[in-house]
Amino acid sequence: MSKDKLQYDVIVVGAGMAGSTAAAIVARSGLKVAVIERGVKPGSKNYFGGALYTHALLDIYPDFFDRKPPLERPVTETGFWFLSEDGMVKATVQGGYVNSDPIDAYVALRAEFDPWWAEQAAAEGAFFIPKTLVTDFLYEDAKVIGVKTDRPEGDVYAPVVIICEGVNNLLTQKLGLIDHDLKISKTALAVKQLISLPAKDINARLGLLDNKHGLAISVIGDVSLGMPGLGFLYTTNNALSMGVGVTLDALEETQIKPYELLQRYLEHPAIAPIIKDGQLMEYGAHLIPEGGWTTLPKLYTDGAMVAGDAASMVNAIHWEGTNMAITAGKQAALTAIEAHKKNDFSAKTLAGYQKRLNETFVLKDLKQYRKMSAFLANHPEFMDIYPTFLNDALGMFFTGFGKPKGKLYKDIFRSLTRRRPLLKAVGDLVAFGRAITGI
Amino acid sequence: MTKNNTENKRELPQVYVDDMLMSLKYFTDEHELHLSIIDPAVCQACENQPCIDFCPVGAYRSQDGRTVQIAVQSCVECGTCRVLCPYQNVSWKNPRGGFGVSYKFG
Repeated sequence: MSKDKLQYDVIVVGAGMAGSTAAAIVARSGLKVAVIERGVKPGSKNYFGGALYTHALLDIYPDFFDRKPPLERPVTETGFWFLSEDGMVKATVQGGYVNSDPIDAYVALRAEFDPWWAEQAAAEGAFFIPKTLVTDFLYEDAKVIGVKTDRPEGDVYAPVVIICEGVNNLLTQKLGLIDHDLKISKTALAVKQLISLPAKDINARLGLLDNKHGLAISVIGDVSLGMPGLGFLYTTNNALSMGVGVTLDALEETQIKPYELLQRYLEHPAIAPIIKDGQLMEYGAHLIPEGGWTTLPKLYTDGAMVAGDAASMVNAIHWEGTNMAITAGKQAALTAIEAHKKNDFSAKTLAGYQKRLNETFVLKDLKQYRKMSAFLANHPEFMDIYPTFLNDALGMFFTGFGKPKGKLYKDIFRSLTRRRPLLKAVGDLVAFGRAITGI
Repeated sequence: MTKNNTENKRELPQVYVDDMLMSLKYFTDEHELHLSIIDPAVCQACENQPCIDFCPVGAYRSQDGRTVQIAVQSCVECGTCRVLCPYQNVSWKNPRGGFGVSYKFG
């Protein structure tokens, strides 16, 4: 034990979206906050699709855009691509609500964005300790009073710790906030290739005017080979972010190699021309905690709170997670500030975190979508039969072949019913409605 | 005209995952391994050895078709093996601070 005990008002574990946000809010209030990050720098362990949502970013820094954030393209077109084995139906939206001011979402690269996001918190006064792994907690009378790290004499003290450790929430488990490791039916493995392409090719192939226009696409159907999962495509300035995520239990059952599934997606006849001649910039893999409400840990205990992926704050259907992490990080920070004002760091005060989160979209949405992961597991037809049917139906509708139209409609109807009886199809639709409305 | 895609899938292409790992940057810990097999005999007796398939960087290998070894330096710390190993036979920790994968782009 060193003579000068390292003492802060608040410790944040992990400098991702939740952690650096929490640190900024705490530091802004004048409290002393340390952020402990295991990577060489913030973001070096993070790998996502993906897009960041401006509503959450602006809430933390109203002058966010004036600070010249390292963002890629704004998302000016978004939606679904439905893949059959050899075809594709696009259902995307542009203009209208998507053309908001500011644009709702921006594509980003986390190894570039996260260090910048951390710098903003550092400018508020937060102190960052990189290359340091938090290994355990320090307790006094069963209350958390700090953390142990893998540095020599590495104990760091604070009366409140905000855990933003990411999806592999071993500290959250250690603290007893959740009594099990990640559930394989409620965790997805996503693998991604970042593929370099000249901007002019990206623009020409995807119908984008210039670098001020970008795509965020969820790809459904053939991409996941019937497993509960999705593919995605995001446009950065000079690259395409192409990936696929499937649940771990499906991977276990099918024994498919995730990188082969990804390669199969990239070789799809409708996808291959888009990435032709592209160069691999980076491959990577990351887990996504898709359980949401059903795997939500207890969010607080004496001296500690948990936010972001570590707390399963992901809406898998809407690909939201970073925005939930930012919002939750902020609410945890406000609760830590309140605890310091009261000089009471017990679970009773920190329960304010849950109360605050209940008022935000984070817990409202997670609760509403609580049936979603079970729905997707029990309804593989949405990943398989329906995307294929959609391709067949539109394909038949928009071709002639001298076939009488009466026969055409019969054929379309049959292309559905030979895959899924009509009553089942109606049932699927009702189940889907229930899953998204939470009724 | 009648196509039946669901019963006639495109096959999975063969991928040499090591080629993709060239795109990754690592700070390799020369002194400590953050991953290890708890009991090699359990892997020997494991029927399917699913780790060889599910690991997204192909870090789990078997030269002789039975003995499982881990190329720890290629691990991207995703956590899949910790939760998918049917016998919970993987000792999984985060690498020490500053070590392991370091994404350049993310």
